[in-house]
Amino acid sequence: MIRALVLTHGQIGTEMVRVTELIMGPVPGLAALSNQGNSAAQMVQVVTDWLEGKPTPEAAGPVILLVDDYGGSCANAAQSACAKHKDAVIVCGVNLAMLLGFATWRDDNDIEELVSLLIKKGREAITQVGKRI
Amino acid sequence: MKITLARVDDRLIHGQVTVGWSQKLRPDRIVLVNDDIAADPWQARVYRSSVPPEIAVSILSVANAADLLSPAESPRPDESLVLLTESPAEMAQLASLGVPLRRINIGGMHFSPGKQEFLPYVFLSPQDVGDMLGLLEAGYELFAQQVPGGREVLLHPGLLLEMEARF
Repeated sequence: MIRALVLTHGQIGTEMVRVTELIMGPVPGLAALSNQGNSAAQMVQVVTDWLEGKPTPEAAGPVILLVDDYGGSCANAAQSACAKHKDAVIVCGVNLAMLLGFATWRDDNDIEELVSLLIKKGREAITQVGKRI
Repeated sequence: MKITLARVDDRLIHGQVTVGWSQKLRPDRIVLVNDDIAADPWQARVYRSSVPPEIAVSILSVANAADLLSPAESPRPDESLVLLTESPAEMAQLASLGVPLRRINIGGMHFSPGKQEFLPYVFLSPQDVGDMLGLLEAGYELFAQQVPGGREVLLHPGLLLEMEARF
């Protein structure tokens, strides 16, 4: 099963995951990690544990790390953790549409296809309302 | 070379530095001083890649930084720098090796076992307190402040001695 960890500043990711599950129902293998209160080293450790399936060994599988902003502590932690786990994919700029897409398409695609779909979906979700009509 | 900010921050290069402080101070270069990262090309690349392109980056060991940042050796006298270390210990090493520091910013030291809370973003181990007291005794000024415009807390020996008594 493809898993996703949403890595964000503050509680952005926790709330995005909560709202995704409000809409879609429980999404196994989807979780959030905040940078709040964590040093860089602690964040790298938590991400590494997650990549290695430590919190949910029964659900270990390929991982997409969804990060809010490129260039911050979350993106740094994701990249550092991936030094030993080069099969994981990091995508920055996560939004709600991408998480809904993850819950919808996760079981029908391999990780590469899924990542392409999520990036496409995330970009399409950024739109100036009215221009399309 | 002018060090406009010497900062202890265990996240090193991140948004508070590249956006918060850098938009205010407009440094020419960010100098990250850390022996482990300087010796690890992957980690160095990660930190290097998170700096906006208009700011140069150097990632150096403590010994190299002390050489390059000594006033006599400075190859670019007009360059303004933000200097980052993970802990007060490395900043104290740089100071003792002659890097011209005056005010040292305590920007972020997160919780880990054995540390006590000093401020919501500053948790200190007994070694941190000792290193910081050493810096104060040597005449450096220490202030805690996360971001520009945030509250500046001047650290005086009394505050740190109170911390020491809590361990």
